[in-house]
Amino acid sequence: MENMTLLDFARGPGLQWALWIFCLGVLWRIVGAMYLLGTKDLSKFRRNHYIRDGLRACLTRSTPAEAFEDKIRFQHISGYAWHIALFVSVLFFAPHILFFESIFGFSWPHLPNTIILFSGAVATALLIALLIRRVVHPVQRLISTIDDYISIVVVLLPLITGLAAFAHIGGRYETMLALHLLAVELMLIWYPFSKLMHAFMTFPSRYQSGTFFGHRGVKA
Amino acid sequence: MNVESTSVHELEAAIENLEPTVERLGLSDEERVARAKRAFLRKLDGRKAVDLDTCLHCGMCAEACPFYETTQDERYAPVHKYRLLRRVYRRQLSPMRFLYRPFTPDITIDDLREWRHYVFDACTGCARCDMICPMGVNISSLIRIVREGIGAADLMPPRLQRMKDEQQQKNSIVGVDGQRLRQEIAKLNEQGVTVPIDKDGADTMLLTTVTELRMFPSQLGACASILTKAGANWTMYPDAFEAANIGYVAGDTAAMRVATKRIVDKAKEKGIKTVVVGETGHGYQTLRWLGANTVGERLPFDVVSIIEFIQQAQADGRIALKKQDNGASVTYLDPCRLSRKGGLIEQPREILKSMGFDVRETEPTGRENYCCGGGCGEYVLSTGSELRHRVFELKKNQFDDTEADGVVTACASCRFNLHVGADKTNWQMPIKSLVETVAANMAD
Repeated sequence: MENMTLLDFARGPGLQWALWIFCLGVLWRIVGAMYLLGTKDLSKFRRNHYIRDGLRACLTRSTPAEAFEDKIRFQHISGYAWHIALFVSVLFFAPHILFFESIFGFSWPHLPNTIILFSGAVATALLIALLIRRVVHPVQRLISTIDDYISIVVVLLPLITGLAAFAHIGGRYETMLALHLLAVELMLIWYPFSKLMHAFMTFPSRYQSGTFFGHRGVKA
Repeated sequence: MNVESTSVHELEAAIENLEPTVERLGLSDEERVARAKRAFLRKLDGRKAVDLDTCLHCGMCAEACPFYETTQDERYAPVHKYRLLRRVYRRQLSPMRFLYRPFTPDITIDDLREWRHYVFDACTGCARCDMICPMGVNISSLIRIVREGIGAADLMPPRLQRMKDEQQQKNSIVGVDGQRLRQEIAKLNEQGVTVPIDKDGADTMLLTTVTELRMFPSQLGACASILTKAGANWTMYPDAFEAANIGYVAGDTAAMRVATKRIVDKAKEKGIKTVVVGETGHGYQTLRWLGANTVGERLPFDVVSIIEFIQQAQADGRIALKKQDNGASVTYLDPCRLSRKGGLIEQPREILKSMGFDVRETEPTGRENYCCGGGCGEYVLSTGSELRHRVFELKKNQFDDTEADGVVTACASCRFNLHVGADKTNWQMPIKSLVETVAANMAD
């Protein structure tokens, strides 16, 4: 009964509160940044192709320039692998799709469980590898803040509890499912206060970098 | 020792005489910190907030920084260099500051003194880090703000402090003033090169730099020959000729404004339509891209680099360049503020190719080229000499790999830095100026 109560909480008010905090927090942070406004550049631009230069940077920054590739290959590949594995696990697992359908009202095809299990395991392993790298690599260790570590842990928890629930290990299924949901809710609550916000900031940042350098005639 | 090496030592000695290298008294530690924070907050806008909020602390920028690459010292990672700015942002400006403040330490006077080394001795603002960031963070502009904060705290390296004070108060740099300009022009006149001074009705104004005048006056002569040959109605003004802006270099925005305003006011007063900036990277940047923002109004004249002037004159048929017939090869050193931060990447190469040179590229090159190690005042700092030399070695090896007959650049500071490095290592590759090369190859 107690476990069911935990699951009920996780499915009900816990999820609602987490989503509210997530949405309002993200909005607050985006509006807050916009409120600071930009300083108008009075220089005479060499190029005036704002949109083209901005969109180009959104695209080109997805892969490093050839001159840098050798030095950042691990981060480049592991970054892509981690995000792809995460999104496959989140978006194409049948129970997840049912959950999204209950919210959005539409669904999409799912992938076989073996693929989901594999991608979940890959995402978890890669995140642990990136955590270890952050602790071991001298530059990353120096520049890391508590946010960097907490964010990794907060993203790891839904993955680990999800895999445990999927594999029926660590306790009763309902208990593990409740823990998985609570872990997701913890991530949603942590999200707007942390570096996880980069999901909303990356493209604006790339865009403004593209226009900044584009004004000067540099394809960035 | 050749003539150029003698000039290099002359300028080095002049800079050495700027000591004592001690911190100027006058401000309390609290006031210095408060000033630095005010300078940070003045420059933090929505763009910078997005940049700071987007940074993932992935550390990739370190792999683009020549100072990190040549030392493997993690403190030189670009992301670390703007850490103080991030702390002030999170404590005082971030939309989440109420949450971050208890967990984010305030900046201290010791921090400012420590970061002075990172942002002056170990950063030339070359912006190579901007090119690698997968998030598109404009890292160099964030580091630049830290430099300005330390400048506002009057904690810039004492040598730069002396130089920017001199420029701000006396309109001269290491003693090079309007009088010295007249002397150099008189020498050029004896060589048959005419430089009009204070000419009425001129529509084009040429700027040069202290480095050109003290070490490479032939660069000024070459610019003069090119402008005259192209039929420009041009002149120079002894009270507004200096493109170098030590206020910018030192992170002192007030001093920077004074130097910029001298040029802008003179150009406006004389009805100048085009200001041509000689061979200088930061001089071009401070007027071309930052000038209007510094004085707070759009400039009523065009600012062009001598590179752009040459190319336009070629296109208009006002000058023609002779083709080399000996198959000589050169490699080109991109001054960071002309190329990556200025958009002049292809143009100098096209000029060299139009003279028949076999232009050989270093690896990497163009947008991703490495700084010479001496940019943004770095080349005058005694505290940065070892780091600077390491970066020079990196560049030297790249130049050598091209097996070119010589290296050409379009910035007197870069050229100076290469000469200093060449002198220390007995490097033999000829170091040439683009304008001198052009002037020597102008068809009659």
